[in-house]
Amino acid sequence: MDPITILLVVVVCVIVGGVFASLGVHLLPVGGAPAAMGTATGIATGTIMLMLGAAVTGLFTASTVATFSKNILLVALSGAVGSWIMMGVTMLMANIIYAFGAGVVPVSGRVEVDPITKEPQTPYKTPQCDGHGVPNVSYISGMVGAFIGGFGGAFMYFALLNYAKFEPTMAAIAAIGIFVANAILAAYNIGGTIEGFHDPKFKRLPKALFSCFFVSLFCGVFVGMVAFIGGLI
Amino acid sequence: MPIEAVAMLFAWMLVIVFLALIACMFEDLESDTGSQSNPNSQVQLAAQVGQVHRFFNKAISGEAPAYAMYCTTAGVIAYVLLLKEIHPILAIPIGAAVGEVFHVIFATTAHIGRTAGSKRFEQPLYLDVLYGHLLPIATHGFMAVLCIVSIAYIQSNLGTLSGYLPVDGVTPLDHPFALPMLAFIWGITVGAIGSSTGDIHYGTEREFQDRPFGEGKRVVYHGKITRYADCGIRTQKDIVGFCAKYGGPCTGMTFGTIILFENWRTLVGMMLGRFLPAATGFSDIAAMLGIVIGLVIGIALIFGNVAFVKWARKRYGPFVGE
Repeated sequence: MDPITILLVVVVCVIVGGVFASLGVHLLPVGGAPAAMGTATGIATGTIMLMLGAAVTGLFTASTVATFSKNILLVALSGAVGSWIMMGVTMLMANIIYAFGAGVVPVSGRVEVDPITKEPQTPYKTPQCDGHGVPNVSYISGMVGAFIGGFGGAFMYFALLNYAKFEPTMAAIAAIGIFVANAILAAYNIGGTIEGFHDPKFKRLPKALFSCFFVSLFCGVFVGMVAFIGGLI
Repeated sequence: MPIEAVAMLFAWMLVIVFLALIACMFEDLESDTGSQSNPNSQVQLAAQVGQVHRFFNKAISGEAPAYAMYCTTAGVIAYVLLLKEIHPILAIPIGAAVGEVFHVIFATTAHIGRTAGSKRFEQPLYLDVLYGHLLPIATHGFMAVLCIVSIAYIQSNLGTLSGYLPVDGVTPLDHPFALPMLAFIWGITVGAIGSSTGDIHYGTEREFQDRPFGEGKRVVYHGKITRYADCGIRTQKDIVGFCAKYGGPCTGMTFGTIILFENWRTLVGMMLGRFLPAATGFSDIAAMLGIVIGLVIGIALIFGNVAFVKWARKRYGPFVGE
């Protein structure tokens, strides 16, 4: 491929990865500090930490797969599945601790009936709380979000490794850096806690995608320039 | 390459899983010892609502970036020592010890700084609380960082340890990332999981133990943490002993299970795709099989959660009380 084509491919891949990262973050059930007290629905940690933890787990597997497969889709899907397993196990174990350690039933605070299983939520909710645990709708939303986010991270990694010709460790650091920039923008957009696609805050998504597009475009051009200068190869 | 190498790969995978279990358990217990996690918002709030306490208070950052820093520091030191041909048995613990030096410095300055910030709320700085918690923080953190750096060492040398020989200067199945990068990755992940799952047992149960069991902690309770122990005034040492019975092991199991599923599906995919035992060339089939196995595991987890939530709702019933 000629240099201009490579630059274009790298920029497009970074934009796709960044926008997917932002979309994935919006789908996660993030409860933050209130969730740690069972006062809010979701996982008891910050948005970026949760998404980054899932994405780097996927990135580990994606980098292994990238050693024996040169198919960008397979490498990205390996990363996506790694993230989805990480998030699935984490949310299930969180529910187990809520149920057996604190005697709390997973329940949504934003909807009266679970949109997927149709189970009523309000009768099970503690008064003065915004839900607790990870109900089924948030669990499935979180799994989808982790899958999309992991896909984006691994997609960027592959592009930096094979098109921009970065060394594997440097490709991972660059991919994580761009991923974090997009995740932070998404976290600002969410502003604390979100339950998943059924949360009213999810409607703010277009603004985040718009911002992340331009941030990723800038990052992609910068990465492309670095690749041509050759300092990191 | 003989089939014994494949058996060795699976054996090393189980060693990594065991180390992951220990690492995440100690990471969670360390965060309980130093109160570096989301429930620390209540420790910070307690003084502001007039509840003077003897809790340790070192929330300077999220657990994930904090452990990424400790593990990467340890990984870099261990990596440099390994390059100097020092034996891993020495290099890894020395690296972990250096990581813990940073940890203790941050714990000291964070606790003093945070408590000094609460001066206007008449929260004293108890020196016995400061001195008494630094060693437990360092020892729990050391165990977590040691296990993470050991995992990074094994993964970055997996092929070599399993008996594979270099091909064109690169040993197959040695992870392409350098050891410090793997330590960074698992440091972030162990912190994220410790924060996501382990916090619940500390924040929802132990921190508000004089409140009714079986309900989320209401907003009116916030800041009014349980300040008295079974005997005397409560410190973090009373909390970590309690969380070590359930929250810590569950958190360890979370990370261990993730590592088990991740490595297992990749290795089984490689075997079924006939990439192993030779481990040379390319195999899209191996990658595809790994993805399919992972998807099946994820779908099983979704059904497991649906069944568990259904069971919990039936067992506990709707909320009763005011």
